[in-house]
Amino acid sequence: MESSTQESPLNSNAFTFDSPHPVYAMAFSPSTSSSAASSPRLALGSFIEEYGNRVDVVSFDEDALSFRAEPALSFDHPYPSTKLMFHPHPHSPLLASASDCLRLWFLGPDGAKIRSVLDNSKSSGYCAPLTSFDWNDAEPRRIGTSSIDTTCTIWDVERGAVETQLIAHDKEVYDIAWGEPAVFASVSADGSVRIFDLRDKEHSTIIYESPLPDTPLLRLAWNKANLRYMATTMMDSNRVVVLDIRAPATPVAELQRHCASVNAIAWAPKAARHICSAGDDGQALIWELPAAAAAGTVSPEGIDPMLVYTAGAEINQLQWSAAHPDWIAIAFANKVQLLRV
Amino acid sequence: MVAPPSTSLQQTLQAVVQSVQWTYSLFWQPCPRQGILVWGDGYYNGSIKTRKTVQPVEVSTEEASLQRSQQLRELYESLSLGEANVPARRPCAALSPEDLTEAEWFYLMCISFSFPPGVGLPGKAFARQRHVWLTRANEVDSKVFSRAILAKSAHIQTVACIPLMDGVLELGNIEKVEEDMALIQHAKRHFMDYFDAHTKPALSEHSTSNQFARADHHHPLYRRPAIMQRMNMDVHASNQEEDDAHDDEEDNDEGDEIEGSSRSELRAMKYSVDVSVPPGLTVAAAEAIPAAEASELMQLEMSEDIRVGSISDCSNNLDAEQMPAAQSICKNWNCFLEDLGNGFQQPLGTQEQDFSPEDAHYSETVSSVLRHNLRRWVDSSPFSSMIQSQKSAFSGWSSKRDRLPVCSRGSCTSQWLLKTVVLNIRDLHCKLSDGSSPKSPEGEGRNRFQKGAAQEEISANHVLAERRRREKLNERFIILRSLVPFVTKMDKASILGDTIEFVKQLKKRIQDLEARNRQSDQRMKAMEVEKPDYAVSYKLDNLVVDKRKLQALEGSNGVGVHASVEEEDALLELQCSYRDGLLLKLLQGLHELGLEVSSMHFSASNAVCNAVLRAKVKEVHGKRVIIADVKKTIDQIFSDH
Repeated sequence: MESSTQESPLNSNAFTFDSPHPVYAMAFSPSTSSSAASSPRLALGSFIEEYGNRVDVVSFDEDALSFRAEPALSFDHPYPSTKLMFHPHPHSPLLASASDCLRLWFLGPDGAKIRSVLDNSKSSGYCAPLTSFDWNDAEPRRIGTSSIDTTCTIWDVERGAVETQLIAHDKEVYDIAWGEPAVFASVSADGSVRIFDLRDKEHSTIIYESPLPDTPLLRLAWNKANLRYMATTMMDSNRVVVLDIRAPATPVAELQRHCASVNAIAWAPKAARHICSAGDDGQALIWELPAAAAAGTVSPEGIDPMLVYTAGAEINQLQWSAAHPDWIAIAFANKVQLLRV
Repeated sequence: MVAPPSTSLQQTLQAVVQSVQWTYSLFWQPCPRQGILVWGDGYYNGSIKTRKTVQPVEVSTEEASLQRSQQLRELYESLSLGEANVPARRPCAALSPEDLTEAEWFYLMCISFSFPPGVGLPGKAFARQRHVWLTRANEVDSKVFSRAILAKSAHIQTVACIPLMDGVLELGNIEKVEEDMALIQHAKRHFMDYFDAHTKPALSEHSTSNQFARADHHHPLYRRPAIMQRMNMDVHASNQEEDDAHDDEEDNDEGDEIEGSSRSELRAMKYSVDVSVPPGLTVAAAEAIPAAEASELMQLEMSEDIRVGSISDCSNNLDAEQMPAAQSICKNWNCFLEDLGNGFQQPLGTQEQDFSPEDAHYSETVSSVLRHNLRRWVDSSPFSSMIQSQKSAFSGWSSKRDRLPVCSRGSCTSQWLLKTVVLNIRDLHCKLSDGSSPKSPEGEGRNRFQKGAAQEEISANHVLAERRRREKLNERFIILRSLVPFVTKMDKASILGDTIEFVKQLKKRIQDLEARNRQSDQRMKAMEVEKPDYAVSYKLDNLVVDKRKLQALEGSNGVGVHASVEEEDALLELQCSYRDGLLLKLLQGLHELGLEVSSMHFSASNAVCNAVLRAKVKEVHGKRVIIADVKKTIDQIFSDH
């Protein structure tokens, strides 16, 4: 119930799932199994500041417009997971989660089982907590993880071994995103966005640095529909900075319509110029970046978003379904809402 | 059967308008440079007054109509070019204004129109992204419909504008038709389906090649057709590769079909040449790129130029040159790609600033990413615009925001959860490990994590410490390099080697200097007889300098003679028993040897005399006296006495 909201009544196109615990990590499944009508499926990772956490899997019935929990596929998870992600290929029911290290779970017909624990510590089984990871769509053997020990580790999940580990930044790395099978970008507390090419590990390129020195950049999203663009958010900032990799250092756009800090961003999976952002002001905004031809005609006040949705509380997580591009999931407080675009 | 070349867009328009049985259809495209909608392509489906063709054979209605649309376009072009060109260039089969019906005239005049977003029917449709339907177009005011007057004479009663694919599809009818959503939907669907089926590459506004922007900006206009031609063949080839079956089919038909598809390639081009763009772009170049974003449209414009040029040249006959053999294209595909890549690399190179190695690496990365991007784009669906569905949870944005955002945690920090996740995660783990009850599955989990926390600290510190150490070392190497005078190579090993050499040399030099110092000290001392521990020889230009030796010569009568000759200076220290006139004899003897005494100290006491003489060695008959001679002489002198 959105009793705490000052805003308009229940939106008939937003469907809420009440979780017993606060939710942070969310992932859309690429699609469900081979059955004809695939409905959106979400994995929800709890965020309890305890050791014992949980990952729930729910699916949404588009006809009945309601959620259906799948308790068989839910499992306990050590430490709150900072990110969840399904295997990019639909027929592989693997879910990866990151907390203290990377774990792969197999969501089979008889429940969820842990498949592997990917742990790259030198000493007895401890590894620096992971802040995020990304599964390479084009090369699903690769997962890149980012950690607070300033490194990014690239895993070969089929072999369960480290492919390479790079010291990516001078400070903790907060997010990582793949562009191409061998190229990834990362953001860090040192305020820079760097692009790494695995074919040339000696060099990395800083393509953006936060204007106030040492303002950490917290989140990064690479537009999978148009790899030229990526977006990043800063700590305590209401801006979403959109970058063009061909023109480093100068952002293409700075989207400043949030009233409070931005928590999460997601590019539209199929459209090339749409991005959604959500923040502490309880709003999820969908922006359309101007076609670059009209970029010169952007008014000095900046770009206005196209669409807005107001939730009742600070939105902590946002995911845009790649399998069903007209659904966006947001997480706030103990609720997960599925919004139709 | 020969049909004039048509483009895929035109065919689509043809299909759409024929399916709804309206009079004309045309497509308005946004022009990137001016930001307005301009005429893209059109199809005239109405009545014709005069038919003018070259072929004697009766063509089908469909082809005739297609032809007609072409002819109308040609006519427009020729009219717009001006009077001077008209008589000379126009072929006999072209239309002249008097051949047209009113409706045709209306269609033709539409070509000249352009609409900024929000202005006019197409403009409004474009801005609102919703269709606009106007009935009684011939009767409304010009303010509502800018072409009202034309429509009046043409009896165009209904006009519908539907925003599609970044442009606007316009349909017109001489009959009055009430607004019909179904028709709109049908038209839309038909358009999209037909278009998709007949154009291979995805139509996206990001399908660009930077060269085009450059070509536009930096090269004169006449060059564009040349570039286009090559690109045409390239893309044709790319489509060859992608859809051989399709083309094989086409091969079976007459040549005109291939021509048709090559034209369609021209139309809906997706350039797969995206040369790496170095990050050090000049501002002009950076502007060029945004322009290239929608260069699909510029491409269309250019293609118009070419098509018109070729058509008007050959009066509806096929231009065989424009249609190279399918096989040769495949062969040439790779070369062309390279040529284009190389060809355009040069202009890029000359225009950029200095290309540092880092930039080169980065541009490599960027180009590989963009190649990957294009590949993906080809695979994925072309539909890039987002239509807000009726049942959306989102509402439109209003710039007047009178609603305040909700923040129930007014006093708490912003981004609380996010910050906890990324910033405090380590502390969280430590805290949990300290206080966690043994519900953890791993038995040793607790210890592990406690140790782990410390170790993790250490490992983090190690990383940083290592880095600091490296930085310190590097810094000091640089300082060392600056101190050592001749460093040939800049690597650490050779810096150290050169430094070692330098230090050795310095040491030697110190020794020499100290020796010299000592020498001059000795000369200063009058009475002392010292034996130096070493001998130093200096090589000077033409002088042969005797080694500095001190010889103690024991004279027979108990004299001690110490003679040393150093360069030109001679030092004699004599001791002997006293004799009268000895000194005189001595001086005389020295004089004969050519030694010019500069100073002398003589003392006699207790029948012993000591003499210290300094003399300059002079050349006598070109020869300098040597020590041995000096000693011999002195000996002689003494023994004489």
